[in-house]
Amino acid sequence: MNILVVLEDNQGSLHRLSREAVAGAQKLGGSVTALAIGKNAGSLASELSSYELEEILTVEHDLLSSYSADGYSEVVTQVIQSKSPKTIVVGHTYQTRDFMPRVSAKLDIPFIPDIISLSDEGFVKQVLNAKLNASVSSESDQIILSFQSAAFNDEEMITGSSAITPFDVELDVSSVRSTSEEPFQEAAGDVDLENAELLVSVGRGIEKEENVHLAFDLAEVIGAEVSASRPVVDSGWVDSFRQVGSSGHNVAPKLYFSLGVSGAIQHVVGMKGSKNIIAINKDPEAPIFELSDYAIVGDVLEIVPKLIEALKN
Amino acid sequence: MDSITFSFIEKLVLAGLTLAALSSFSYEVYRRMVIVLQGTGTLPLDRFSERLIRVFREVILHEKVIRERPWPGIMHALVFWGFLVFGIITLDHFSMGFYKPILSHSAHTTYSYIVIPFSILVIFGILSLTYRRFITRPKALGKISITSGVVALFIVILMVTYLIGEMNISPLLWKVNWWIHSIVILAFLFLIPRSKHLHLVLGPFNIFFKPFDQPEHTPVHIDLEGDEDELDAMLTDLTKLTQNQALDIFSCVECGRCTDVCPANRGGGILDPKNHFILDLRQPILNNKDVAVLDQINVEAGWECTTCQACTEVCPVGNHVEKSDEIRRLEVLVEGRVPQEYQKLFTNLQETGNTEGASSSDFADSLPVFTPDMEYVLWLGCFARHGLDPNFNRSVENFTKILDTAGISYGVLEQEHCSGDPANRLGDKLTYTMLREHNMEQLAETKKVVTLCPHCAVNLGKEYEKYDTVNYTVEHHTQVVGRLIEEGKIKVQMGENGKVTYHDPCNLSRMLDIVEEPRTAIRSASTSFQEMEENGRNTLCCGAGGALWWKKETKGRTHLVRAEQVIESGADTVVTGCNFCYGMMKQGLGPMTPEGKEEVVVKDVADIIAENLA
Amino acid sequence: MKIAVLVKQVPGSESVLPINEGQSWINEDPVTFVMNPPDNFALEEALLIKERKGEGEVVVVSMGPNRVQKVIREGLAKGGDRGIHIEEDEPIETDPLVIAKRFAAVLKDENFDLVLTGLQSDDTGMGQTGVLLGEILGMPTATLAIETDIQGESIRLKRELESGWFQWVQFPLPASVSIQSGLNTPRYPSLKGIMGAKKKEIKTVLGSELDASSRSQSIDKVFVSQTSKQTEVIDGDVDVAVQRIAEILRSEIKVV
Repeated sequence: MNILVVLEDNQGSLHRLSREAVAGAQKLGGSVTALAIGKNAGSLASELSSYELEEILTVEHDLLSSYSADGYSEVVTQVIQSKSPKTIVVGHTYQTRDFMPRVSAKLDIPFIPDIISLSDEGFVKQVLNAKLNASVSSESDQIILSFQSAAFNDEEMITGSSAITPFDVELDVSSVRSTSEEPFQEAAGDVDLENAELLVSVGRGIEKEENVHLAFDLAEVIGAEVSASRPVVDSGWVDSFRQVGSSGHNVAPKLYFSLGVSGAIQHVVGMKGSKNIIAINKDPEAPIFELSDYAIVGDVLEIVPKLIEALKN
Repeated sequence: MDSITFSFIEKLVLAGLTLAALSSFSYEVYRRMVIVLQGTGTLPLDRFSERLIRVFREVILHEKVIRERPWPGIMHALVFWGFLVFGIITLDHFSMGFYKPILSHSAHTTYSYIVIPFSILVIFGILSLTYRRFITRPKALGKISITSGVVALFIVILMVTYLIGEMNISPLLWKVNWWIHSIVILAFLFLIPRSKHLHLVLGPFNIFFKPFDQPEHTPVHIDLEGDEDELDAMLTDLTKLTQNQALDIFSCVECGRCTDVCPANRGGGILDPKNHFILDLRQPILNNKDVAVLDQINVEAGWECTTCQACTEVCPVGNHVEKSDEIRRLEVLVEGRVPQEYQKLFTNLQETGNTEGASSSDFADSLPVFTPDMEYVLWLGCFARHGLDPNFNRSVENFTKILDTAGISYGVLEQEHCSGDPANRLGDKLTYTMLREHNMEQLAETKKVVTLCPHCAVNLGKEYEKYDTVNYTVEHHTQVVGRLIEEGKIKVQMGENGKVTYHDPCNLSRMLDIVEEPRTAIRSASTSFQEMEENGRNTLCCGAGGALWWKKETKGRTHLVRAEQVIESGADTVVTGCNFCYGMMKQGLGPMTPEGKEEVVVKDVADIIAENLA
Repeated sequence: MKIAVLVKQVPGSESVLPINEGQSWINEDPVTFVMNPPDNFALEEALLIKERKGEGEVVVVSMGPNRVQKVIREGLAKGGDRGIHIEEDEPIETDPLVIAKRFAAVLKDENFDLVLTGLQSDDTGMGQTGVLLGEILGMPTATLAIETDIQGESIRLKRELESGWFQWVQFPLPASVSIQSGLNTPRYPSLKGIMGAKKKEIKTVLGSELDASSRSQSIDKVFVSQTSKQTEVIDGDVDVAVQRIAEILRSEIKVV
């Protein structure tokens, strides 16, 4: 087997980034084996049964009923030692960052993280706060790679079929030194705009305070945070911690979806690093359009309600 | 009442009571003065005659008291003038009790033609003020003050007993009346030093000693190679009031004018200068008998201050109210407790010499480099160098156009670092020292500096002078423009700007006292110039002062208060003389403009002149 | 309680980043360097843990050329007790395994109770040092801690998971923990701290003498990302626009 993809459990179903990792692994070429760990291993595995994989390994154990860095890294290590893949691939998530480096150190295999694309010269990752890209390579026999969200497209997963095979691991109590409690959710207090991946940003084009909820509704549907330009904050329509701009936060999210933001320079300096900018504004000359990837000339109050409906379906 | 005599017992009692009252009064004043003298520095005696004139104008003429709050001001003036008039009457009154009256019968009668009307005016005055304080209850006066009620009562009693004493009544009644008057005076003596009425004694002195310059804060000399013990001593001293500041605290009349004018307070912040900067410290210095109390200033309030000095300007008893410098420098230098957005600002200043962390300035590169044969160093400031509002760069270019037209040579310093105003006003005196020392080196060959930024002007000149000799003069661009127009070196024609008003920047008007030159300039270019409210030295800060421009997540609406006033003035264009005011106006006017109305246009003085050069 | 905090000196977020002649990295001459902001949070957490315990030692460790002594001093000015500088020549090492082995060699004999690191560095952003180091030293590890609580011989901490989920975990000390940014408010060095830092010890060791492992991954080239901004203009019918936006969100940016 060439490539081992370590799958991640997202509350019982397969994490989207694991699917993308499979797509990426399949692109690398060779035979791909997937590994599902934990109490939901079976159902995760079955989600991949109609895709072209050599096999899907499942590992279940009492000591793996909840995630632990000790446990998961030990499992992956044993699978690697048994199956000797050349390449081990994961999606770049909070969880894989927690245990994959342990595998790297246990087996002395280099881990190249957060890859955004493959090139002839090597793996491409962002450096210096995504201001530059770097080409990284390794001469090592085995490597571990993690792929950034959307580096690969899960729609490009090659279909086919694969068998599910349980894999036995050796774990004893001393292997898992941590105890963990049940995960829980917390309402975010002051939202961390600067680390938010997705932002829906509202400007004066929203016209009235009564319409501001449209931004929040849209944000909820796409799982984004809400930010705003200064005039909206000054008018008291949203809390000041949501302000983006020279006297507010500096953000560079994956998506900056602006509603009725004109793009005044004091605002733009706070968001021009955003990776994808969608802007809706009535004014075709609005400065925001100059840095947008997608410019929609139209009425926010007409478009957004319909967009929310379309996205819900 | 010549026939009235006082028995030996009466004289004894009178002597006893008078002695008690005078001792108590003296002791209380004395112990407060002991505390004042523990303050750092000394009370100033320079410009002696100017100080005397100032006392005359503000105490005798009550200029400031009346100007800021006309009706209560005049009422208070009546009470005060009555007080002066009564001086000799009181001496005469007591002299009568001990020995015999000072005034001869005819002198007494003649004088009473003045005193009697005054006593009526005093009654009128004190009753109006009492009504205002207890019935109308303006917010600035705070909670109901029993002391004020008692004092009002005393004054009324004194006036009434005086008037009764001038009437023809039975000797017994007259005596009783005389004693009532005496006891009330002695009770008053007892009360004065223990209450805000100490201003009766300290006011004139405090006004005499008031600094001529605002703001006035002790410079903080930092020597990084110095002794650790010296550093410890310096840091401990940072908690101490100066003598002047300590005197201020005892002179405060609690009138609340400072809080009324404070832009942070008006913008919805918690800052209340009357309490946070003055009264909160009174009990601590009395309890501790010591002046090391600056660390007790409310920290949150301290960070809200825009350092605009409106509070200092308006205080009728000559207090230098603002103390944000003192609490901020303690938080930064001693505690290391600095709001996050300012930490980034300080790091930027230390690492790159500018507020933005930039390594170069395209704008500065586009301007001529200063060589010593040129007349002026054109000091840009971080705002213009790093495009904090790129529109303002056009204003700088307009100014260079004006200089070119007048044939004046200028250049920018390649190694210009931030003048240090943000570090200075935020309490990071260490970063300030670094910037100041660097800039002084850069300015070694310079004779004249002109800048569009009043904050830079204040620092390069007055503030740097507190640490070192400064060999250059600093002018604000409006001074240069105003002068060029007056000397005819540039010709300006009237332009169409609609109704034009001018917003005085706080650093320009109050700190540099530059009020006329911008108006000279504007009037030469606009047909219809009108003043807006709170203008000149009474200007309302735009909200960017005290390095608040860099404060993220402001809860207040400080910058919107002034924008609202601009809109209410009905002007089509607002001209200003400061890059921060320019930027704040641009940001504030948008949200505050009512629907349907055109947004007021913001211009700098350089813009309106350059656009109308003949 | 002995705590080691690993700090890195990286280019500031506002700094120029000119690519060097060989295109192998950036030319560092005009660069303004700062302490890696995530490490600032780790340092603050270490100082808070020491303050809460009322005793302890915080050791500030950094690897790099001479210039990194500046961030070690900064750590000492904020309250660190002493520093260790692992000196290396430029160009700096970027292989996470080599870096971790060198740190491990220096920290091993000191028997630290806790090693704290920032989430990742603002330069190479590999985000592995703390975990690798923990494994090499045989310590339990955790990442993205947003709250720490030392309980006797073990540590209980709150980890941030995705999408607003959190989880408490507990494990025995010694341990290596990486800190999520934003969990505390880093202090500013007081004037006394800055003066005092000059006298605190910084021990220098040569990186090359610590570990002779060869590099297993390398950054070969850096370049400006080639995305040319092509603005797609969508106007016209509201329904058409809505459909196109939905498509973009689903398939192109993949947020739904």
